[in-house]
Amino acid sequence: MIITSSKPFEEVLALLEHEDDIFIIGCNVCAAKLKTGGEPEVLDMEARLKAAGKHVVGWALPTAACSVRSYGSLVEKNPAIKDAHCVLVMGCGSGVSIVAKVVDLPIYGSNDTVSLGGSSEGKLLTQLCVMCGDCNIGEFGGFCPKSLCPKGLLNGPCGGATDGKCEVDREKDCVWALIYERLKKIKRLDLLYEVHAPREYGFK
Amino acid sequence: MNLDFRKKLDSKNFLVTAESSPPKGSDVSSALADVEVLRNFVDALNVTDNQCSIMHMSSLAFSKLLLERGHEPIMQLTCRDRNRIGLQADLLGAFALGIRNICVMSGDHPSCGDHPGSKAVYDLDSVQLLDIVSKLNSGFDFAGNELEGKTDFCVGAVSNINPKEFLQILKLEKKVRCGADFIQTQAVYDVGMFEEFMESISHLDVPVLAGLIPLKSPKMAKYMNENISGIHVPDELVSRLEKASDPLEEGLLVAAETTRELTKLCRGIHIMPIGSHTRTLKLLKKAGISRR
Repeated sequence: MIITSSKPFEEVLALLEHEDDIFIIGCNVCAAKLKTGGEPEVLDMEARLKAAGKHVVGWALPTAACSVRSYGSLVEKNPAIKDAHCVLVMGCGSGVSIVAKVVDLPIYGSNDTVSLGGSSEGKLLTQLCVMCGDCNIGEFGGFCPKSLCPKGLLNGPCGGATDGKCEVDREKDCVWALIYERLKKIKRLDLLYEVHAPREYGFK
Repeated sequence: MNLDFRKKLDSKNFLVTAESSPPKGSDVSSALADVEVLRNFVDALNVTDNQCSIMHMSSLAFSKLLLERGHEPIMQLTCRDRNRIGLQADLLGAFALGIRNICVMSGDHPSCGDHPGSKAVYDLDSVQLLDIVSKLNSGFDFAGNELEGKTDFCVGAVSNINPKEFLQILKLEKKVRCGADFIQTQAVYDVGMFEEFMESISHLDVPVLAGLIPLKSPKMAKYMNENISGIHVPDELVSRLEKASDPLEEGLLVAAETTRELTKLCRGIHIMPIGSHTRTLKLLKKAGISRR
């Protein structure tokens, strides 16, 4: 799941300062799950923009903003897009980019895209993967230090880690403490002794 | 100052290194004056690389300025701000300018410093950077290309000193495996714990210089316990400072006593005063450390 967070409404309004006749496009996958671009959020955005004096021509909720096939598929969902002078996408950065490919209007995003994550046991989990293109997550027992360590350290914790907590955020577990526990559990502590070479980012 | 830290590491002498911070600005006069008093009293000067992620003049430039004035610099190099191309380029440049000693570390995260929104690079970690220095020393870059003139760096790394932190010890082992010629540690206040640490790494053949930050007040001791990773000031020491009529003087005395103990346990000390070196000579005198 792509993790997004909603920009404060004032910031969205500032983006749209010189725009009007807005068409809103939500996303019924990740953003809907995260409540940053599902139907209730799209309706709320429409109401707030209207209350702020903006004219909203309509909205659509494609299955996934990042998989919009064509301009025609958006017109099929809501022909009001033909009257729009700009589009506000309530999805992730990919969603905004895909919509921009098919709609020839000024385009804005209402979210900040934070990381690749997921959810499990009712908990939202962020920063699980940095999409480095050179995956060796198995060597760390399934916790990627490139993503879960703010410094992406592959050969053990930095000197800032204290009592299993991260230097950057003391509330957060140091991923190396998690890796250690996990490797112990699966009887692969031997993996800790490996010297990991730098990754070949995007050039493998 | 004799310009050969590697030879000093091979000697039997108890070594003294001290931290030197480049200025935040282009005027180097006060930063140079601060270390001038240490001439002939320390074996080398560690030049910090944007310490605490607070932007300063580069450690490369300031190391060269120290070298020109006859000091022996140990250029610190963090993985925070440069990728593998930038780090190798600066290493080649440093060697060409006469810098022979390097100390590598991950580096504090940018969020700790005065440009918190800057992109954290960390393309390499300290273990990988040590390996790259070894490669440059053998005449090749990371990608395997042959160099026109190899380097010959004496390269150090840093370590915490809690023997119970298994992962920290493991990382230190990797650093030694990847070519660390010496280790400088986090500040020591608990000599017993440091002794245990030295025992826990007795299988590693590497000279260790113990970190020393003279305490100035009980408040500073408590602050460090709460905020600085890897530092543990024992309660007895905090109350000793609380009871002292002159905590500043008492802190220096504690550091001198610690130094005397450390002469029996490791190869040297690394002095990192908070602020200037105005009291460093007094500390060395109290600890019985002679001129170089």
